[in-house]
Amino acid sequence: MLRYVVRRVLYAIPILFGVSLITFVLFYATVSPEQMARSKLSARNPTPEQIQDWLKQHGYDKPLHVQFRKHMAELLLLRFGNSDTTGEPIWQMIRNGVGPSAVVASLSFFALLIVTISLALAVAYYRGTYVDLWGTFLCVILMSITVLVYLIAGQYLFGKVLKYAPLAGYRPGLDAARFAVLPLIVALFSRLGANVRFYRTVMLEEMHQDYVRTARAKGVSERGVLFQHVLKNAATPILTSVVLAIPFLLMGSLLTESFFAIPGLGTMLVDAITNQDFAVVRAMVFLGTILYIIGAILTDISYTLVDPRVRLE
Amino acid sequence: MSNLIPVLVVVLMIWTYCRMRQQPLWAEAFRRVRQRRVAMASVVVIGIYGGIAFLDSIGWQDGRNEPRKTIIDRLFQKPKERTYSAPLATVTTGEPTPHPLLGRHLLGTDGVGEDVLYLTLKGCRTAIVLGGLTSLIATPLALLFGMLAGYFGKRVDDAVQYLYTVLDSIPSILLLISLLMVLGRGLDKMCIALGVTSWVSLCRLTRGETLRHREREYVRAARALGVSPIRILYRHILPNLMPLVIISVTLGFSGLVLAEAVLSYLQLGVEPGVGSWGNMIDGARSELAREPIIWWNLTAASTALFVLVLALNLLGDALRDAIDPRLRSS
Amino acid sequence: MAPDNAVVHAFLPHQGRFHRSATGVPRRALSVMKPAMLRLKLVAIVSTVMSLQLPVPVQRLCAFLFGLALLALHGCSNNPYPKSEHRASILYRSFSDDPKTLDPSVCYVALEIVGLIYPSFYQYHYLKRDPLVLELDLGAEEPERRPIPVTVAQDGRTIRRQGEEWTFRIKSGLRFQDDPCFPGGKGREITAEDFLFAFRRMADPSVGSPVVSFFEDKILGFAELVQQNRKRLDAGQPADYTTPIPGLQALDRYTFRIRLNQPYPQLRYLMATWFTAPQAWEAVARYGKEYARHPVGCGPYRLAEYQSRRRIVLERNPNYRVEYYPSEGAPGDREAGLLEDAGKRLPMIERIVYSFMREPITGWNLFQQGYFDEWSVNRVNYSQVISPTGGLSPEMTRKGIQLERETKPNISYFAFNMEDPVFGGYTPRKRKLRQAISLALDAQQLLDIFYQGNGTRAEFLIPPGLFGYESDYRNPYRQADLEKARQKLAEAGYPGGIDPKTGERLTLYYENPYTTPGGRQFLGTIQKQIEALGIQVIPQTSRFPVWYEKIKKGKYQLYDYNWLADYPDAENFVFLLYGPNKIEGGPNTSRYDNPEYNRLFERMRTMDDTPERMQIIRQMRQIAVEDCPWIYLYHTADLNIHYDWLRNVKPHPVALNTSKYYRLDAERRARLRTEWNRPNYWPAIGLVAFLVLGSLPAAQVVRNRSSRRVRRAGTEAE
Repeated sequence: MLRYVVRRVLYAIPILFGVSLITFVLFYATVSPEQMARSKLSARNPTPEQIQDWLKQHGYDKPLHVQFRKHMAELLLLRFGNSDTTGEPIWQMIRNGVGPSAVVASLSFFALLIVTISLALAVAYYRGTYVDLWGTFLCVILMSITVLVYLIAGQYLFGKVLKYAPLAGYRPGLDAARFAVLPLIVALFSRLGANVRFYRTVMLEEMHQDYVRTARAKGVSERGVLFQHVLKNAATPILTSVVLAIPFLLMGSLLTESFFAIPGLGTMLVDAITNQDFAVVRAMVFLGTILYIIGAILTDISYTLVDPRVRLE
Repeated sequence: MSNLIPVLVVVLMIWTYCRMRQQPLWAEAFRRVRQRRVAMASVVVIGIYGGIAFLDSIGWQDGRNEPRKTIIDRLFQKPKERTYSAPLATVTTGEPTPHPLLGRHLLGTDGVGEDVLYLTLKGCRTAIVLGGLTSLIATPLALLFGMLAGYFGKRVDDAVQYLYTVLDSIPSILLLISLLMVLGRGLDKMCIALGVTSWVSLCRLTRGETLRHREREYVRAARALGVSPIRILYRHILPNLMPLVIISVTLGFSGLVLAEAVLSYLQLGVEPGVGSWGNMIDGARSELAREPIIWWNLTAASTALFVLVLALNLLGDALRDAIDPRLRSS
Repeated sequence: MAPDNAVVHAFLPHQGRFHRSATGVPRRALSVMKPAMLRLKLVAIVSTVMSLQLPVPVQRLCAFLFGLALLALHGCSNNPYPKSEHRASILYRSFSDDPKTLDPSVCYVALEIVGLIYPSFYQYHYLKRDPLVLELDLGAEEPERRPIPVTVAQDGRTIRRQGEEWTFRIKSGLRFQDDPCFPGGKGREITAEDFLFAFRRMADPSVGSPVVSFFEDKILGFAELVQQNRKRLDAGQPADYTTPIPGLQALDRYTFRIRLNQPYPQLRYLMATWFTAPQAWEAVARYGKEYARHPVGCGPYRLAEYQSRRRIVLERNPNYRVEYYPSEGAPGDREAGLLEDAGKRLPMIERIVYSFMREPITGWNLFQQGYFDEWSVNRVNYSQVISPTGGLSPEMTRKGIQLERETKPNISYFAFNMEDPVFGGYTPRKRKLRQAISLALDAQQLLDIFYQGNGTRAEFLIPPGLFGYESDYRNPYRQADLEKARQKLAEAGYPGGIDPKTGERLTLYYENPYTTPGGRQFLGTIQKQIEALGIQVIPQTSRFPVWYEKIKKGKYQLYDYNWLADYPDAENFVFLLYGPNKIEGGPNTSRYDNPEYNRLFERMRTMDDTPERMQIIRQMRQIAVEDCPWIYLYHTADLNIHYDWLRNVKPHPVALNTSKYYRLDAERRARLRTEWNRPNYWPAIGLVAFLVLGSLPAAQVVRNRSSRRVRRAGTEAE
């Protein structure tokens, strides 16, 4: 087990190297340092000398390979530097944003998980009936609506008309749950269709397996089949989708957060996009990648916990 | 250039259909699709959108210094009004004193006084070009790398796997944002960025399938006969991958159309002046709080978007059910 | 000199201020009863469902949904503020864009916050209008102003002319707010040196004050100081804050003197701006760059919390000087109840909370729910707020909302780049070209569509309410007339918008920072209007700083902007076209330079508002209108609404510290808010019931099927 984990972590290193190469090519090679300097200094009307100074200060006057080494070292040590627009340390911005994102996203995520698995079970249980037929059709319809419509309609209906939750904003502590209600509802509806369909397919796939046939032959009831066998075996693919979603929990949902004015990482990223803040985007890309890789490792490990057939070699 | 895309999409669809018909197994699958009314209705709907996009891609100038106008421009462009007006209204709304309109507008007009029906139709081309061009970028890329990796294995496989693991490790929305920030706004740039982020999953599938087929008897036989690898890949393995490609392109297409709306919200969408449902929805957002409510913009754009995506999803499902019987439910 | 950001931001993410606040729902008997009854009903429904002996999954699903519903019933409230604030004296407002800086030497936006933290020598009388009256704020007595002879170097010669000496005396015993930067954390006494320190900061190029050009050519020794500081900056040395200069002198602890090389009547007004407010060197020294986010002032409020893009909280400054609500006002103020609080100690509200609102609809909805105390009337909510007759709509009146109309001295305009080879220049043809475009732009239409007609079409720079404005004047090139415009265009040598030499259509590049939907709409309308002439308009959209850069550097053909006066004097407008101001970063961004206009400007700038001055303004107008460097659009009026629990609201055209006069009836607000925001649970219950009941027949089907299957002993695989 430990050996496996170590090996997986070692595998991650070339991947991180590749990712930082990509970010380097994207942000250093395609955007001229001159442009970056200008965007950093623009508020104060830079003279050519100021730009030169800035380039020198930030090491952009050096040859590309030297810059690349520096960029790599900084990223791998997670030294993200300061924001291009506000000059705030990016780590501090991340620290501020991670709380709200994690709270709101994890609440929405677990609600989504519970609701979708229950619904998928119900649909699978009722397969072949009108519930299944209309349920899956409804799922396709829900999938085909753009998330923007959910945001606009969700806020209008649940916030303005029914008054269940504050329209926007965030407050730490227990109050956070109230601010998470609207994002939760929107996340629920926008992901419901795809998720229910996915879990339904997973479960039906299991239902076509031989062991289910055997169980039925033994006389296990339909209910027993679904809950004792299918759900347990469907746990692996569900788990994959769960663990791989963890980085997105922390990164927050870009649209939802910025629409509901939740000061999380998603909003921070949207702001960075509108302000062309390359430093913040770069940091977020790298951080997101690390979280994703950690998520992937955790998934593999958790397989062994759920499914004794899986061995990590 | 992007005017060719809708044409290419239509041609490719027909070509694939004709090619696949010749194979009995797939002919059977298509027969099953044809039997489903929902699937055929979806094909018709997609055909209509494609047709509009096609008509909107053919245009000419009336003379020097005149703007280039497409057939859609010529058929649907109405006189510009002062500002908003409700569907079929005779006066404007949204200003202190309503002004009479120059013409009737089936779906009303937007803030600049442009006919909403016309704008909605203009959005078709963007959606189709976006989906089509992106698929045209992503699919060959995915097929090429996937088949090479699956067929040749070893170093090639390692290299390709490394490449897509790296790309896949970056959460796709972040990669997309970075690409668009660096490339700038524009339809072609959006296609490139979306293409780069969307080829990985198909490539992975292709690689797996190729691996499976490589060991099959017919491939071994071809190899034994001395057929060159390129020919094996093209003549023998590629046709077997086509169903996979068709399903994933159809379902991917709908995702791309939806992505356009989201990117427009993030101000990373197409450049202003190009019709786009995402921009329309984004623009109508703040008008919803108005009293009387200005709903026709948002409704028209989101309905157009919804219908296309729904048709694509339903068709994709029908294709999958037809081609992959194991997943057919009930 | 401050660009009118409020107007620009009409098209940037969202306009308006915020509103206020909230509190937890007080648990009154009634509100407890209602959910309790609902719960009972739910239990009834669920037990009925249970009695049907549903299969386990359905039961579990029911239980889960039931649990969710219970949870929802319990915690539902749409109040965005903590319960502890429910009855507190807090004013709730919004902001839509981060203030880049709260440094009073630099700040342009968020002026309200800066105005409340940094009071100056003068302030505007809160209630008096026509004319606006300056009263002493930190000043102890009216400054003493006397002419002095000065020698100045002009065109290489030394000449003697009349200058001015102003002596200011400030109140004693004023203290800065408490802050860790002071010894012991206690705010120390404010002295004359602190006022001079603010002036010295303006001369420090590393500070980057936007108003340095106002003083540079006037205060004795100031220009030399700026020069020297620039050199020091280039050499990497800090600016000089110690060497005395003849123009700025502290006479004693409470008196300072400013010497000018020319009469400068507008100095009075500048002494009422935050730029000249006293600043503590300790704070600048301690916080360095962070000073922009850590203001240390002496105003009625001090900064309590600053969370970028989240919240800004101001709290009452206990060290604020003793100040009382004015006891006299303009005619009609007594009847309007504006003098009820006369003689009360200021400020009256404990805290001001600014919440960040990116989405304008969200903010407007929060206002309607009572969670913001004030809001601006804009194109989104206009027809809901204003009735067809122009007053408040019944819906708003019912909620106790009041309407205030505020006319700030401002002008929105389009400016041509006078140095552009195609559209700039002073030959008759170029003039006609610009006049043609001016004739094509229909300002009334823009005003109607984008400002709901709130405002006046502009004929010239000077807005109504200021000396120099003449309501009966008509600018011949600003009466929208497409026919005349086409004719002028033909006379300019571009019949139909086509350049006969090349046969190409004339293109006009329009620089703009508008990325929001509203901004795009504005662009579209402008494009439509000018293109009616046959000229092709290409909007070039860039981010605000990039755009601003281009404008400053003169890299544009056409742009639009607006100007909001810092002080109510015509000079603050006509100087926008004064030739010597066309330097990079100067206010004359259109780079217009007409020697005759410049000469007239130099005469009128130091004059009092006499008929002779009016005559000169008319001459200047004549010149500028014919040259047509600008297309004057309109002077907009702001409509603001607030709830009746907020008292003493009277918009001021220039002053920024008006919130300190407000009074708040927090009890009333708490009561109404609770009343307006009772959640409606029925749809949620209905949905749950529908799902549960809707799946019952299916349960039956499945039960039949599975019993059948059991009978067949699993021989049939599904």
